[in-house]
Amino acid sequence: MYDFDMKVVEKKNLVHQMLREELVRCRRISVSLIKMLSGLPKGSLHARHKRYQEKKYKYHYLKYREGGKSVSKHISDGDLEKLSKQLEERKKYMKELVSYKERIKYLEKILSAKK
Amino acid sequence: MTSRMNITLSKSIYPEDIEALLKALFKAGFFSQGLLIGSWVMPIYRELFHIHYVLKTFDIDFAVETISSKNPKRVNLEKILIDSGYVVVTDYETGLRKFTKGGFEVEFLIHRRGGRVTPTKNINHLHITATPLPFIDILFRFPIIVSFVDYETRVPCPESLFIHKLIVAQRRTNNAKKENDFDQCRILTTILDKQVLRKIMISIKLGRKTQGNIITSCTTIGFPPHLLGL
Repeated sequence: MYDFDMKVVEKKNLVHQMLREELVRCRRISVSLIKMLSGLPKGSLHARHKRYQEKKYKYHYLKYREGGKSVSKHISDGDLEKLSKQLEERKKYMKELVSYKERIKYLEKILSAKK
Repeated sequence: MTSRMNITLSKSIYPEDIEALLKALFKAGFFSQGLLIGSWVMPIYRELFHIHYVLKTFDIDFAVETISSKNPKRVNLEKILIDSGYVVVTDYETGLRKFTKGGFEVEFLIHRRGGRVTPTKNINHLHITATPLPFIDILFRFPIIVSFVDYETRVPCPESLFIHKLIVAQRRTNNAKKENDFDQCRILTTILDKQVLRKIMISIKLGRKTQGNIITSCTTIGFPPHLLGL
């Protein structure tokens, strides 16, 4: 027969180290996610309708906050598809970042309690 | 190398997200040139061999077979993963691209022959970057194909995983990972097939240092190295 027993203290240590490892991983991924986010536009897309000389015009603008101020930036039709894809991507990255931040908070809490 | 076994499992053993990922990879034909490795293999071993191992990590690792063919099967894994809701995360230091969704991280590994250490390798026919690591080729000896109701996956056999862990444990700088390797090895010792162990050992070329590492690991976990021909 082989010796499969591990001392309880060793096992506890192992779990503690694994949690610490997981915390490092989450922080590392968070940094990468923030970097990825910094390259993506923020804000939301809106459409405005204007009537001019019996004709209706629709144009798009990107609304976001910068330095506490609300900014509206006109978006040309040619850039619209690319921008909406990037905004969609940003949403996915933000969602991912939130889940990592929550996990970091949780791990920090249990690891500081174990000290 | 041919498969040691084809096994059917009628029940679902993975969380929904992991299962969706495995299904997507299976549909793309990835498992003809790749393996599911790491801690997520353990639920399969638990079902097949009734071992008790519960620790699972948030990283899902896949090994990619080194293809010698000039015209390998092309699969756009990056697109498949993005379509499945994953986002690409680039490690700016190494250039390695990983994928993450809901806190799960997908990473690809490939065998690295001795010599120069390179942080990443572009696998152009799969549209991914992989981390080259030594001894990954061992995991492809006698793999097991596991069929679920609507998908299949391919995993290393316990014997190849055991030998791989014995080697890598001694190369770890991280104690937690090292202990985890030993922990998995101790559990695997209960289900090892001695003949398969010997066949794998005969089929791989190991240097003296690596053989010494295996013996050290065997001593740590209390496994007789002569069963490996050492």
